[in-house]
Amino acid sequence: MYTISAPPHKKSKFNIKSLNWSKIFALVPVALAAIYLFGVPALGIILASMITAVVTEFGIQTIFKQKVTVKDGHAALMGLMLALLIPPEAPIWLPVFGAFFAIAIGKHIFGGSGSYVFHPVLVSWVFIRSAWAGPMTPLSTPHITMLSELIIENGAGLLVGASPLALIGGVYLIYKRYVDWRIPVTFFLAVFLFHQVIAFVSEIVHLVQEGVLNPLLYLASMFIFLEVPGDISYAAIGVVFFGILFLATDGPTSPVTKKGRLIYGLICGLLVSIYGLFGNYVDGTLYGILLGNCVASYIEIKTMPASFGQECWLEKPYNRIVGIIPSAFKFEVVTDE
Amino acid sequence: MESKRLDKIPEKIVIPLRQHNGFVCEALVAKGDEVLIGQKIGDSSEYNSSAVHSSVCGEVLAIEEAAHPDGNKVLSIIIQPSDSEETVPFTPAKNPSKDALIELVKESGIVEHYGSPTHTVLKPRDKKIDMVLINATASEWIGGKYTNAKEYASQMIDALKLLMKAAGASKGAIIIGKDDSESIEAFEGVEVDGKKLLVAPLVGKRRLDHYFKDQESNILVASQKRIYGKNILNFFTYNVTGRKVAIDQNPTDVGVAICGVKSAKALYDAVYEGKPYYETVITLEGPGNCPEYMLVKLGTPFKDIIESCNPGEVGKIIANGVRTGVAQYTDEVPVTKGTTKISLQKPEDVLRDEAEACVHCARCVDVCPVDLIPSRLAVMADQGRFDECRQFHIQNCIECGRCAGACPSKIYILQLIRYAKNAIGMAYEDLPAKESSNLKLGCCGGE
Ligand code: SF4
Ligand code: SF4
Repeated sequence: MYTISAPPHKKSKFNIKSLNWSKIFALVPVALAAIYLFGVPALGIILASMITAVVTEFGIQTIFKQKVTVKDGHAALMGLMLALLIPPEAPIWLPVFGAFFAIAIGKHIFGGSGSYVFHPVLVSWVFIRSAWAGPMTPLSTPHITMLSELIIENGAGLLVGASPLALIGGVYLIYKRYVDWRIPVTFFLAVFLFHQVIAFVSEIVHLVQEGVLNPLLYLASMFIFLEVPGDISYAAIGVVFFGILFLATDGPTSPVTKKGRLIYGLICGLLVSIYGLFGNYVDGTLYGILLGNCVASYIEIKTMPASFGQECWLEKPYNRIVGIIPSAFKFEVVTDE
Repeated sequence: MESKRLDKIPEKIVIPLRQHNGFVCEALVAKGDEVLIGQKIGDSSEYNSSAVHSSVCGEVLAIEEAAHPDGNKVLSIIIQPSDSEETVPFTPAKNPSKDALIELVKESGIVEHYGSPTHTVLKPRDKKIDMVLINATASEWIGGKYTNAKEYASQMIDALKLLMKAAGASKGAIIIGKDDSESIEAFEGVEVDGKKLLVAPLVGKRRLDHYFKDQESNILVASQKRIYGKNILNFFTYNVTGRKVAIDQNPTDVGVAICGVKSAKALYDAVYEGKPYYETVITLEGPGNCPEYMLVKLGTPFKDIIESCNPGEVGKIIANGVRTGVAQYTDEVPVTKGTTKISLQKPEDVLRDEAEACVHCARCVDVCPVDLIPSRLAVMADQGRFDECRQFHIQNCIECGRCAGACPSKIYILQLIRYAKNAIGMAYEDLPAKESSNLKLGCCGGE
């Protein structure tokens, strides 16, 4: 007897389970750093949140007679991610409620795995942040003053702030191609070049207003990109990296098209920077990405690729211009049909 | 490159009277007749059809419907082979003319492995061919038939010239794989009309036209990334020549004829040795001691080939590759002109995964060679939104199966896409007739 089935007959071993569990493993270092820095309360928050998330998912799927999928690690991942966004001083019922809210409302109301529009962790975080602003406000806003603080923070606000460097696991995921590079890269660039670009533009505007005609001065303003702005110390914190590497790269809430992902990263970066400029980067990251979620599907629809062999949106204007140029000026190889 | 000849004489040989996607042949022999190697046993007066020949000496046991590796049943001639090696006399053709070549291709039963009889590719009705391509990207040299690489290269060039002559084309090229160092070495510096050719890499916008100019030759050898899939011709043509083939057309509409290494070799043999197409080289893959390549007679049942490599217990037999091939329900199916590869899987390696919800991880998008959004197509196909599939260029899909292979949710993307393509094919008459497929749909007036 031979099995018959539709092709392909060989697939990659990689599945949903490995995707989620690899993300959980990538978050273990930062969780350990948080426990090291904040002690037992941090451990309590992480455990409470993860257990509640898993139990909630199990409960909901049993009640509604769905296939129980707690083993794929998605609920546990959501629980862990939420815990990392809670300050260590928070009472223990806060993560419990938050995790319940994330799974029940954020995930399952929207249709479960893969169907939600907003990241469940962000939905829940925004809810508990607004409902219990007191306990959800960290004692201090983190801010890197020494390089060593990248390794272990002193006055970090949320659990995830304990050690920006411990989030290196996320970079490893990108390196291993478990997570695509497009969103994190443009997001990162947008956040960290935002201030330089603003400084550069204002410098140019300034020069123009003064009526400077020397082109060298304009060129010289390019050097602004080499200066490290002071604001960077506010941006180089755990929660920003966490947002870039783990929150923004979540599949259902980001576009699937290649171009769309680049644009999405950029937009998230801009939103975060604007928030960060006027408020702080902790809230800025989380609200920024949530807003990014809103436009994700719009970006996706607008960036659907054309049929192969057709011009893309950049080629179109290019070809139009090239079409106007008389062929005598062109260096193309002309075919001899 | 070594290849093994299958020494064992099979108990019976099954020769389908249709080994291409044209018209089925009529049998020229009857039950009880004796046949010789190379004897023509099936032919058709239709243009879109190609003769079949016996690959063994023996007695015709029956003419009946038998299993075919594409999943359907086809009228076949079943022969009980004897151990005689007697052949019909082979007469090489001396400097044949264009029309004689076309006739020879049809008479020798040469067909492309993707289904079209070669003469219909070289000389399509009402169309003019000006360029012939030999796609050698996915193919081994026809192992065993060559003693060394240079011989392979020079024979391929000769075969290309024959093909160009038959098609009346002025230009021709052999396309080899970029990472296939063996072939590149074989072709580097091959002489054509006293000129040494360099293997031209097709990168970016540098397509064949550029090199025809650059190397001042009408015959080229070019290399590019390997493309595989069930439906690659249009994409291949675009990549190699830059000519865009409309969705409802095929490469001959833009004047390009695409042949495989096997049909090129078969034509070479037919012209210089007078031999018809009755032997082929297939690739083997699986447990046990499978040789990589094996020279077999057309019509040999898979069973005999599998037994010769002692694979142990077999759970799945796949014809033509694990990515896109057809799983066989029986090992009685014969090797046909369309068979390129047999893959075996142990029972424990057979996939049994269940599809889960799409998590929009975009892996399928990243692997798709023709820039589709497979995840979206799969959802729309599943919901029967075929018109929308069409707007998202579903017809461009080359059916390579990469998307389904990469999906962590194990969604049957390729199957869903084929389902939609088939349904669209039946609903719109401006699309080309579907090549033989083992899918039969209960949708849109399907069978
Ligand atoms: S949609 Fe899938 S099968 Fe079709 S070309 Fe893209 S990757 Fe290949
Ligand atoms: S690879 Fe699978 S899970 Fe990922 S986006 Fe494509 S269909 Fe969805």
